[in-house]
Amino acid sequence: MIPRKRARLALGVALLAVLATGCAANSGPVNLADTGPAQAPLPGGVLIGKAALPPEPGPTPNCANPTASLRPPASLPAPGHMPAGSTMARIQQRGYLIAGVDQNTYLFGYRNPTTNNLEGFDIQMVRDVAAAIFGDPNKVVFKAITSAQRIPVLQQHQVDLVARTFTISCARLQQVAFSTVYFQAQRQVLVRADSTARGIQDLGGKRVCATIGSDSLAPTPGEAHPPVPVAVNDWSDCLVMLQQGQVSGVSTDNTILAGMEAQDPNTKIVGGSIAPEPYGLAFPKDDRDFVSFVNGVLQRLRTDGGWDSAYRTWVGGHLGAVPRPPAPTYSN
Amino acid sequence: MSVTSTARPAPATRRAAAPPAALTGGLRRTANSTPGRLGLAMVGLVVLSLLTGVIGLLAVQGKASTLDDLTARREPFSAAAQQMYRSLSDADATAASAFLSSAVTPPALRARYQTDVRQAGAALAIAATDVEGVADAARPLAQLSTGIPVYTGLVERASANNALGFPIGSAYLREADHLMQATLLPAAQALYAVDTQRVEQAQDDATSFPWAATVLVVVLLAALVVTQRYVRKRTNRVINVGLLVATVAVAVAVLWSATGLVLETVHVSHARSAGSAPADTLAQARTKALQARTDEMLTLVARGGQDYNQPFQTLTRAIGGTDGSGGLLGQVRAGSSDSVLNGQVDQASAAAKSWFALHNQATGANKSGDYQTAVGITLGTGGAGKPDEAAQFDKVDNALAKAINQARTVFADQTGTAGGWLTALPVGVLVLLVLAAAGAAIGLWQRLREYR
Repeated sequence: MIPRKRARLALGVALLAVLATGCAANSGPVNLADTGPAQAPLPGGVLIGKAALPPEPGPTPNCANPTASLRPPASLPAPGHMPAGSTMARIQQRGYLIAGVDQNTYLFGYRNPTTNNLEGFDIQMVRDVAAAIFGDPNKVVFKAITSAQRIPVLQQHQVDLVARTFTISCARLQQVAFSTVYFQAQRQVLVRADSTARGIQDLGGKRVCATIGSDSLAPTPGEAHPPVPVAVNDWSDCLVMLQQGQVSGVSTDNTILAGMEAQDPNTKIVGGSIAPEPYGLAFPKDDRDFVSFVNGVLQRLRTDGGWDSAYRTWVGGHLGAVPRPPAPTYSN
Repeated sequence: MSVTSTARPAPATRRAAAPPAALTGGLRRTANSTPGRLGLAMVGLVVLSLLTGVIGLLAVQGKASTLDDLTARREPFSAAAQQMYRSLSDADATAASAFLSSAVTPPALRARYQTDVRQAGAALAIAATDVEGVADAARPLAQLSTGIPVYTGLVERASANNALGFPIGSAYLREADHLMQATLLPAAQALYAVDTQRVEQAQDDATSFPWAATVLVVVLLAALVVTQRYVRKRTNRVINVGLLVATVAVAVAVLWSATGLVLETVHVSHARSAGSAPADTLAQARTKALQARTDEMLTLVARGGQDYNQPFQTLTRAIGGTDGSGGLLGQVRAGSSDSVLNGQVDQASAAAKSWFALHNQATGANKSGDYQTAVGITLGTGGAGKPDEAAQFDKVDNALAKAINQARTVFADQTGTAGGWLTALPVGVLVLLVLAAAGAAIGLWQRLREYR
């Protein structure tokens, strides 16, 4: 009896051992490096999801007419003869105007790789201001800034003015001063040419790109299925992410989107205007004399054909026929 | 690698626990008679001699192969990691400067970029042969080998768009730069740190004190002396030739080993203090110089958007202090008596001084609004006879490369010399200890025969 039991036990152990050896032998070929699916690199400083949302705005300040600016003087001082003690005189004494601009937004403010010079509609506006002060459109030091830097550089007086597709709004008027409207843009959406989306309403739950500090990512109140916001430093980073398939759309002004479409024919602008975007040149809040002076320069451009010619050079062909320049409104 | 003795305590304990009476009784009887004692001494001396010979052989052989490994693998891998860092960093700075110069990349910059990528690939291939079982090195290597192709893809995409005049080219270049600065260069740095640490570990191994062999040889010498005194007392013969031969053989082995190992240690230490240590400090200086150069480019690319001037100043102060001759360069210069190395470091210091001066000139131009002049100075594209920062930076980089090479030469020479002192030692130790065993056996066997 007992020997039999032992024999059976021994047999069982032997079987187990054989099975165990079998298992060990069947562990399959050696694993190659585990890489996972390839992922395209991201632009530096990208924010995705909640982090991309602009900081919760305080109670939205109300202002009756945000686009109303200071009335220009009856006549502009001659170039090189700025009134003593004025902001313009200080700039004239320094020898050059300092302007915060974009160097990555095709058509409005971008670096021409062939000449290394900055060009575009916004840059043209700055040069016209420089010409009005110095009689020389080249007396400008350009400081390339991101969307998020627009207000801080003015508050810290690092620049004399900002010309960077800057939409006038009541909230921003609390912090900086704006000129009259020099360009009327509309917010729209850019998608890949093969996309079926017909507007921002079709991009719910999809990733949509804008720059850090721009209005485009603020959630629309009451929207049931909002897009996932993705925020980057420069607008061209949005096009990079669209080309790399990391976002489904770019939400911003048609001016900027037209520049992207011009750089990549495999994209299209869709949907009607989500919001009007009136652009103004921005100044430190207390430089009232300079705001008024620049409004005079803008008024001259509206009437002497300078505005039309700038539009034709930089925007025409991408946003249709030359419209009438936006009419100024004044608060005083 | 580890030379641990494979003692098996288990059977011995079992025997001690229940010693068969016959065996202990036999041993006691043997130890109580003179011939018995002589026999035991003979066996003991032979075993101890042979054991000492084998342990000594293994210790010396271990050091010799550590030294071979140092010159043939450890140091070249560390140098390859450094080379990779340099190539990648230079590729990034070159891509940025090509972007600044014109829409179509100038052929010289294109060639430089391609050479950098090629060198990085070659260095990566060398580094990749060495990660067996080193997790710290495997991770950065995987990041590098998967990331470099992506980086070059982005740079090409940037230059295609740049050629068309599209600003999205600069967005791709920024993305490429971000990948390089945030992922690839830290990986290359980590790899270099691992490899450098392994060099130092090997140097420590090569200069460690051979405790086991030393203890054994002391015991063996003591046993030989005790045995000879016992034999002289018992047999009234002043000299036992066999035991004398054995003692002399062990003494020769001790003298030879001590001399060889002391000289080896001296040379390995010199290889470290005048070779691998300054090479590491110089590599740090070179790395910082490359970072500073990249910062300069990025200042111009960012066009006032972001300030890279502060990091530039911090880096350059670390490299050369305030006047180019302090900092890391000064540290190497102060600790070195090698004229070739010092000559190169002096050249690097002088070029660094002019580089920093030109940088201040370019920064001044940029701040006062003369952007094109700043680009001209920084890239050296202002024309013949105009200030050329690129040339000064290249001088710094070349001088540092030559200085590193000189330090590496010193390292290889000294490590090779150190190894030379150990060439015949392993065999010598074994032969001498076998001779000692034979001497002890024969010397005691002759005495034992007298008891028959």
